[in-house]
Amino acid sequence: MFSLEFLQTALLYLGYILIFPGFLFCFVIGLLLCGIDRKAVARMQKRVGPPILQPFYDFFKLCGKETIVPAAASRTTFMMAPLLGLSALVVIQLFIPVFNFRVFRNLPEVADIIVILYLLLIPAVSVMMGGAASGSPYAGIGLSREMVTVLAVELPLVLVLLSVAKTVGNAMGTGLVFSMSGIADYQAAHGSLICRASMIPAALAMLLIIPGETGNHPFDAAEAETEICEGLLAEYSGAPLGIFKLSHAVKMLTLTSLFVALFLGGIGSGVVRLIAAIGLTGGLASAIALLLQVLIMVLLCIVLTLVTISFVHAVTARLKIEQLFKYYWTVVTGLALISLVLAWFGK
Amino acid sequence: MFKKLIEESTAKSPWLFHINAGSCNGCDIELVSVLTPRYDAERLGVKLSGTPRHADIVVVTGPVTVQSLPRVLRTIEQVPEPRCIVTMGSCPQSGNVFRGSYSIAGPLSKYVHVDVDVAGCAPKPEAVIDGLVKAIEILREKRRAMN
Amino acid sequence: MMNVLSYQHYPIYAIMLLFLGAFLIVLFGKNRIARHCLALLSVGGSLALLCLLIPRVMLGGEIITYWLGNRSVAGGFAFGIALEVDALSLFFGLLIATAVFVACVYSIKYMEHDDNIPQYYTLFLMLAGGVMGLVLSGDLFNMFIMVEILTFAAVALTAFRNTARGALEAAFKYLVVGSIGSTCILAGTIMLYAQAHTLNFAQLSSLIPGNFNGATRVAFALLFVGFSTKAFLVPFHPLAADAHGAAPASISVLISGVLTKSGIYGIIRLAYFLFQSMDQATIRWMLVIVGSVSMFVCVTMALAQHDFKRLLAFHSISQIGYVLTAVGLSSLLGITAGLYHAMNHTIFKGLLFLAAGAVMHETGTTDLNRLGGLSKRMPHTTVLFLIGAASISGIPPFNGFASKWMIYQATYQAAVDTNNIGYLLVTIVALVTSTLTLASFVKVSQSVFFGQLPEEYKDVKEVPFGMRLGMGMFAVLCILTGLLPNLVTKYLTAPAAHAAQSAARYINSALGGSVAPAETALPEAVGAWNPINWLLLLGIALLALTFVALLGKYDRVSENASGEKLAPKYDVFFSGEKSEYSQVGGGDLFWGFKQNWRHYFSFMHDLHSGIVNDYALWAVVALALAIVFLQIVL
Repeated sequence: MFSLEFLQTALLYLGYILIFPGFLFCFVIGLLLCGIDRKAVARMQKRVGPPILQPFYDFFKLCGKETIVPAAASRTTFMMAPLLGLSALVVIQLFIPVFNFRVFRNLPEVADIIVILYLLLIPAVSVMMGGAASGSPYAGIGLSREMVTVLAVELPLVLVLLSVAKTVGNAMGTGLVFSMSGIADYQAAHGSLICRASMIPAALAMLLIIPGETGNHPFDAAEAETEICEGLLAEYSGAPLGIFKLSHAVKMLTLTSLFVALFLGGIGSGVVRLIAAIGLTGGLASAIALLLQVLIMVLLCIVLTLVTISFVHAVTARLKIEQLFKYYWTVVTGLALISLVLAWFGK
Repeated sequence: MFKKLIEESTAKSPWLFHINAGSCNGCDIELVSVLTPRYDAERLGVKLSGTPRHADIVVVTGPVTVQSLPRVLRTIEQVPEPRCIVTMGSCPQSGNVFRGSYSIAGPLSKYVHVDVDVAGCAPKPEAVIDGLVKAIEILREKRRAMN
Repeated sequence: MMNVLSYQHYPIYAIMLLFLGAFLIVLFGKNRIARHCLALLSVGGSLALLCLLIPRVMLGGEIITYWLGNRSVAGGFAFGIALEVDALSLFFGLLIATAVFVACVYSIKYMEHDDNIPQYYTLFLMLAGGVMGLVLSGDLFNMFIMVEILTFAAVALTAFRNTARGALEAAFKYLVVGSIGSTCILAGTIMLYAQAHTLNFAQLSSLIPGNFNGATRVAFALLFVGFSTKAFLVPFHPLAADAHGAAPASISVLISGVLTKSGIYGIIRLAYFLFQSMDQATIRWMLVIVGSVSMFVCVTMALAQHDFKRLLAFHSISQIGYVLTAVGLSSLLGITAGLYHAMNHTIFKGLLFLAAGAVMHETGTTDLNRLGGLSKRMPHTTVLFLIGAASISGIPPFNGFASKWMIYQATYQAAVDTNNIGYLLVTIVALVTSTLTLASFVKVSQSVFFGQLPEEYKDVKEVPFGMRLGMGMFAVLCILTGLLPNLVTKYLTAPAAHAAQSAARYINSALGGSVAPAETALPEAVGAWNPINWLLLLGIALLALTFVALLGKYDRVSENASGEKLAPKYDVFFSGEKSEYSQVGGGDLFWGFKQNWRHYFSFMHDLHSGIVNDYALWAVVALALAIVFLQIVL
């Protein structure tokens, strides 16, 4: 069992978890997205804004602060919830293909899109449990709003995923495809899904889902700092708070890269073709191809963050929770439903 | 190296918590104006937080009325270390025009150690930013003194 | 003559042990030790006997036909009373025996402070024996008798704590509507007997399909409504809420984990065997629609509850709705998923009811608006409850997710295969229901275990070990069946699903025809879910993160020193005030959601009047609808 080969594989997967696309990648790119978002919002409001690296400063500062556990809190849950939420998010990141690069290309697939939908609940649940465990009444209200936000976003997200599964299934002739790598393979071979007319409403819906799922403005009723004192995070301080802030940043990366994987997956094969056209072959070519693909994905994530999070933040005011729910279950669900019906009738 | 990083970060990301201790609202408005496009204290990493648990700098406005004193002290207690206390306007320092009133318990420095005083009624945003920068330096020192 | 120890006798022993235990407890139950030994022995023995049958029945595909008094088939006609155990029966039998065993272990400490404990155990074992007899029986009239036994035992147990508020009322409602259900089953049985002149299940199954007339169609409707009452499907769901709210927790485990399963079992036998009508799209639709409506209506009803056990009761039916929906798809994947979920439902629902019982045991209330912050006083119960809550809400990697995931796949697959957009709607309803379930359990965690501890529960203690043991057993099962979906499918659910699809084998085994070898193909799902690998990844990630965090002195926190007066620093932030008790009430936690659904909720509120006449009327209306519908389509 402990042959050299096994050791190599184990190290490889450890590298996936710890470095790319795991912790290190999530940490750097997630916080970077967050910083770009803050800068962009500031520029849109004609301010200078904080430096791009501001979220890094915030994170390290919080690591150096005192951690206060209120007397009313359940200590274990209070302290473990941030760790669990962040780990779950990082694991999800492993399942999202970066164009042609997949962590599990030699192994049976671990999770399909329905599973990813549910795995996305774990970070949300862990922040809710952590907040509930703090014993703060503000957290109680925050929990209520966070849960309603999750409920609101879940329905359109389900519809988007089902319409993607059906579209790819139609095209492949197998009825439906739930596997994430199946969707990526299809797009690598036949071009991005967003090029299909039937998928455009779903992509729009997904764009609107991103700020809701990450809890960004105007869908941040759950942690409205001016009315309910940051809601679920009201009692968190120091390193646990830093990890929650980091989770929030990583969630931005997860959702934007999920969008790229679902709708823009065809770009990767273009890169491969480009490199082949130049005449490079062998290990160097695949390394460059990987690097380019990662770079393009990060760029796309940045663009998506600017469009869906920063721009929306700059032009809207916070919605009340019942308005938020209504918005998602009517407008966004309607968009996703159009796609699903179009996909169903095979357009 | 890591300690240095945290120290630098502490100086670059001061989050404010604002306590109104019976203020006339003049200073409160001026504090918000510090965050507007014209002055934009977010350049320095300043952010208004909603709860004392997230804060680094506590900004107190108003003459500290008898009613508000225990609340102010309790809230300041709830801010995690390292923390800095900044009074804003003349009221918390001297009582200003309210001095001698039966309902005033101030000045604040009688009860807690105040790090920075920003005088004025109300102080100009430039003065507030200057005070915040001073508070940031004190914050850095306090962080260095920890461990 | 067969050897009395040979395996063909095991089914009858499994039933008789339970009944024998019931009678012996009447005789010797005054002694505490004797009582517990007898109860545990009979329940444990029954479970062991059924486990011994797994290799033959589940893996070997054998069908055990046992004729009481050795009076078997003569001239092609079945005269005697038969027990017939195929993989489907054994699957349900195992579920029941497991749930009963755990409930029995839990009861020992839980019922300590009640009066009339011998009577409790007698009724408990009667109920268990009734359900066991129902699922192992191969005779329609015997099934009715067992239904009667279990209904009356359940009614009596519902009112067992008859000093509790609402117990007698709940029992009365249950008695009325339960009797309507039993009467329907009896009437259906009589009509079939009049048509086919036999009561043997296998023989009926060979005579009736293809020979439908008006009377058999009415019989189908009667039996369907009768078994739906036992499963508390919509419109019989209000009963369950009342019954669970009043009954002791260990009995709630039986009512939700065992009694409802008998209803589902009856419906499967009815639709797949007796009438063999699952090839008709309309019958499939009937099951799927009843299932989906139960699933959705009950989860929304649960959101409106503020009593821990009533909330669980509505969720119980919601999950049964999942089971019926999946079973109604009639595909191998669908039945496997449905049975898998039935099993998981018994496990996680049992765990949740026991946790509710633990809270009740220590605090004396299950009102969500009065509880809070118990996690500090009852940490073990909290962890066990959270496992159950994560399971029922379909959070990976617990068992509820594994089966729900299969159900989504099955419904979506059915939509694609039949090109019917209706099934797609079912998938969406199932997915949304799952999220609503999560919302509901977040509410319970917040209002019972987290949040602030009320002054009056300052001195609450953790429940005794015996009760934690019962919950622990269910929790371990929750995790195991969630982590090993492939093994569960291979050894338990797929054989049972194949059994449900092969009525011919069932008939031939009883009537002496040649029995074809059992199918062994495993259902194929389109997607991928590999819980062990995922857990491994999460575990490594969590370990790495915790390691780094501990290196960074993550565990160095400031806390109020124990035993000292609460310093303001460690008080909860209350906008500067001294913190007071201010728990956010469970009843109104999700008003952002309820606000948008207020018309629906007020409609539902008016509908559930709590008057037993109304519920009886609903039963009659349901019966009339079923009769008309089946006359038209069958």
